[in-house]
Amino acid sequence: MSVVAVIVLMWAVTYPARWLGLNLGRVNLPPFWLAFLGFVPVSVIAALIVPEVLGSAEWPRRLFACAVGGLIVWRSGHLAAGILGGFAAYWAVRILGG
Amino acid sequence: MPGSASVSPFWPAFWRGYRVMTPLWLGMVPFAVAYAVTARASGLSVWETQLMSLTVFAGASQFAAAGLFAGYGAIGGASAIGIVLTTFLLNARHLLYGLSLSRQVKLSRPQRLIAAQFLTDESYGMVTVRGEQEPDGPSFGYLLGAELSLYTVWNASTLLGAVGGAVLPSPEALGVGVIFPLAFLGLLVPMLRGRVTVLVALASGLVAWGLSRVLPGGLVILLAGVGGALLGAWLTGQQTAQRQKAGL
Repeated sequence: MSVVAVIVLMWAVTYPARWLGLNLGRVNLPPFWLAFLGFVPVSVIAALIVPEVLGSAEWPRRLFACAVGGLIVWRSGHLAAGILGGFAAYWAVRILGG
Repeated sequence: MPGSASVSPFWPAFWRGYRVMTPLWLGMVPFAVAYAVTARASGLSVWETQLMSLTVFAGASQFAAAGLFAGYGAIGGASAIGIVLTTFLLNARHLLYGLSLSRQVKLSRPQRLIAAQFLTDESYGMVTVRGEQEPDGPSFGYLLGAELSLYTVWNASTLLGAVGGAVLPSPEALGVGVIFPLAFLGLLVPMLRGRVTVLVALASGLVAWGLSRVLPGGLVILLAGVGGALLGAWLTGQQTAQRQKAGL
């Protein structure tokens, strides 16, 4: 099979998952499943963060960066400030040989 | 101003969505370049490398595929079915994103067809959390702006990497791998109100970490995401039941 055909098939298995989810959201749901959907952002975002930090070879640096970044967002409410502050903390530790 | 009411509010919302993603570009560019360099090293042409970014548009699975194509066609190398199945497993989590997003953003049928093509972890997270600050909640324009913000940067960077990426520094050298967890943390922190939410975040995060040692990344997010949300719904149900009991 040609590379282009494989890429098109990759697309064919990715797009429907995205489309199906967007289409299923309007159905009427009992309270349990409404609560379930309400918790999806928290659970998904936490699941995206932790393996990227603790599962990394440089996890101590990333953990420190996230502690600093998280603290900045918590105190200031500014997302960009948290990202930049955390990134600066990461580089400070990296340069200082941590 | 007469006539101003007829002006569609699409574009202002679109640009707000587009701009809200800009802090993530810093992390996005080196990774798209790295993907393109990997794909080219695996024998894909510039056109094939770009086609994957234009169609599939899913970072983790593009990286996986770029690696798998290295042995493609050779004895003992990856098969077409292996590459496609890996992609499916990694991207099944998008079902959950769409399901969650569609409760928040009102979309017509054609809008759903368009929005589905450009959905990613980052635009889902940002629109879900930051979209609340929109006047009437996140609109189609806001969602599409956020989605296309990454799409344009990802594709432009893919081209950059495919054509001349070998001379650019790697994401590891730049240390930008920390940008994504930082951005998601910035979205998560304001959501952590109440014991149940904190518990759900901790459980999902730790379960995902455990699962990530044995399963591919996309599947990990899907399982930990569903598991954490089930836990949250169950705990909320328990709380409600207790309150009702106390009220009797």
